[in-house]
Amino acid sequence: MYVAVKGGERAIANAHRLLADRRRGARDQAELEVGQIEEQLRLAVDRVMSEASLYDPELAALAIKQASGDIIEAVFLLRAYRTTLPRLAVSEPLDTGAMRIERRISAAYKDIPGGQILGPTYDYTHRLLDFMLLAEGEAPPPERAERALEACPPLLELLDAEGLIERETDNGCEPADITRDPPDYPVDRATRLQMLARGDEGYLLALGYSTQRGYGRNHPFAGEIRLGHVEVEIFVEEWGEAVCVGEIALSECQMINQFGGSRDAAPQFTRGYGLAFGHSERKAMAMALVDRALRAEELGEEVQGPAQQAEFVLAHADSVEASGFVSHLKLPHYVDFQSELELLRRLRREHDRRECDMGPDAQPEDSL
Amino acid sequence: MPWPTLNDPVHDSQRLFRQLLAAMSEPGTRYTLDAPQPPDGEIGPALWGTLLTLCDLDTRVWLAPEWDTAALREALALHTGSRVTECAEEADFALVTPDTMGKGPDFSLGSDEYPDRSTTLLVVLDDLEGAEEWRLSGPGIADCRVLGLGAAARPLMARLIANQNHFPRGLDTILTCGARLAAIPRSTRIEEGA
Amino acid sequence: MNGYNFAYLDEQTKRMIRRALLKAVAIPGYQVPFGGREMPMPYGWGTGGMQLTASILGAGDVLKVIDQGADDTTNAVSIRAFFERVAGVETTTATGTANVIQTRHRIPEAPLAPDQILVFQVPIPEPLRFIEPSEQETRLMHALEEYGVMQVKLYEDIARYGHIATTYAYPVKVDGRYVMDPSPIPKFDNPKLHQSDALMLFGAGREKRLYAIPPYTRVESLDFEDHPFEIQRWDESCALCGSRESFLDEVITDDAGGRMFVCSDTDYCLTRRGELA
Repeated sequence: MYVAVKGGERAIANAHRLLADRRRGARDQAELEVGQIEEQLRLAVDRVMSEASLYDPELAALAIKQASGDIIEAVFLLRAYRTTLPRLAVSEPLDTGAMRIERRISAAYKDIPGGQILGPTYDYTHRLLDFMLLAEGEAPPPERAERALEACPPLLELLDAEGLIERETDNGCEPADITRDPPDYPVDRATRLQMLARGDEGYLLALGYSTQRGYGRNHPFAGEIRLGHVEVEIFVEEWGEAVCVGEIALSECQMINQFGGSRDAAPQFTRGYGLAFGHSERKAMAMALVDRALRAEELGEEVQGPAQQAEFVLAHADSVEASGFVSHLKLPHYVDFQSELELLRRLRREHDRRECDMGPDAQPEDSL
Repeated sequence: MPWPTLNDPVHDSQRLFRQLLAAMSEPGTRYTLDAPQPPDGEIGPALWGTLLTLCDLDTRVWLAPEWDTAALREALALHTGSRVTECAEEADFALVTPDTMGKGPDFSLGSDEYPDRSTTLLVVLDDLEGAEEWRLSGPGIADCRVLGLGAAARPLMARLIANQNHFPRGLDTILTCGARLAAIPRSTRIEEGA
Repeated sequence: MNGYNFAYLDEQTKRMIRRALLKAVAIPGYQVPFGGREMPMPYGWGTGGMQLTASILGAGDVLKVIDQGADDTTNAVSIRAFFERVAGVETTTATGTANVIQTRHRIPEAPLAPDQILVFQVPIPEPLRFIEPSEQETRLMHALEEYGVMQVKLYEDIARYGHIATTYAYPVKVDGRYVMDPSPIPKFDNPKLHQSDALMLFGAGREKRLYAIPPYTRVESLDFEDHPFEIQRWDESCALCGSRESFLDEVITDDAGGRMFVCSDTDYCLTRRGELA
């Protein structure tokens, strides 16, 4: 007698216990503290905050711990938490020009006002495994400049002053909010940038890369990349002024791209823009490349590369959506599969019957 | 006198919403709402309960002049946070009387692509069991359903019959009288007489 | 559950979904865009259905959750446990006692009652998506009621196989206007959509669309005069309850390819066996 499989509830509970055990690992190793992750896996924390659209290093670190270091899972955990938070206030636009700078470089100029500041970067490190880290060697403290860098205005303003680059102005429109409203394609640039900002870094990296390989080429120069802290302000009606409620770390990338222009309009450089929480330079650069690629239509360019197809690019950028839908293939589909089986068997039976009716020597009519 | 709100915002609004959902799913069926009673001379509990259940910061409400009182505006702002709009076309909800509809403000019917972006009418009626009978059919109605309304409802019903020509664009309507309500969504076919 | 609202979603989100649901009911078969939120379950695992359930569920409701027709499949167990935890509602496996039934891939065999609500989990709400991948295009096709491509697609199947080769997520036309994806239910279940006593709600979380079929609504499966719509039939009957009317799952019983057929709707099967015993 067949008895249907039962006990799903117990199976799930046991799987969760096993997962918790694997997460903890061998008990002779000290348990990871959330604070250690926050301090020592900083770049992972920044990526999780960016793609989860929630600036909270401690909770991002907790998510990484809970996800056993699976970044996409950690993004999902933090995003699911974020969605339950009430909206208390809306900040003023951030002024990245007033950033307290930790790193600032330009590939477009040999030197820039204030100098090229490398800051904490993996660039120029030799990618040799450092076995000292195995031996728990203490890192020496960094050397600090005698005085902090003054706020630097965005470098691209220099080009703008000459009219060499397209000017970007605030059109005053209330931007859409992708965390509350579903995308209504085609979407405007503000919406696109929001979607790219929470898009998966690997996905945007591959798309940005594809534009460099000829699929929607847009001739980029890294005009300015800056990393540092920016104040967040909210406008308080009662006081009639904006007050600072804290600081967040940001990575910003301004790409300079090849000219637009026409018989009527003088040629100008165009822009691609990337912004991410924390130190997420690769993400900001990839985002800027894709942002520029998605402006193809607006700039009168032929859409020929995948990175230029807005609906395709944007609809598949979110790792929480993508990993959810891919992983749902693990759910049972046996009812639909049964429906397919039934049809396939019927089609094959009919096929066999036809063959049989025609007999072994019968020739298909069209071959006579 | 302050306007009352829901005792238990979470569970009361859920209960009232389920009645609204049922009303919209079965056009012409009357429901009695157990909702807070505004002061005398103001809108009835069914309409107030509907506003409390559906409106918030993200909705804009249009008010017919005869029901546009300072007390209602204040209560709406305090208990729902929704904004009152003077522009009929941008209203998510419009508090109207049958007469309003005779005068024909241009409420939004939505677009062919987004027919859901339309105004929902919340109608104040004197009578939800009148002698003039309207025969309703369409989705939510097994065969047909007869709804009796007062003669005053005529301009409204004329507008709702015309509404059918625009489908899928159109207005959805919640008729209220005191604590009772019934709905006529745009999908309902309306004929005069039983 | 500490720190979360009743039924998980905050009240403002529920109100947004409730307003969208009223529009969905008013325009049967039309996909209403809504501000779908992340749920603590992955997209594709029922987040749309769960958001709808969370928005309609009350403390006094009795909830049933099925996947593939069964109450004991892991995803059904997990979603049921979620609502027990965040809403504290009573749950059941008995189709007849539930007010709200959330389902993935099936409609219960037992006819539903007028006061019941069936909530479907929907992966791809757009019936035209596999013919036209662009949302801008399909939106326009719905607006213009331009459904010729769907008929062409189905007819290509007939030309090739002699049958319409769509066996699940079989498109329907609702009240003579919108072509709608009934979610990946087997086409066996399509006739149950027509003139149902119960309200049916459909939620697609990742795609951020919801739609509805009110009770007593005309729902026709697309077909052709010379190839009328037909549902699956089995030569076998259920090995457990003997039913010849229900959708049967094929169960492999041994390595030699032995197999048997049993009802996919576990509650229906158990009830019949109880009546027969």
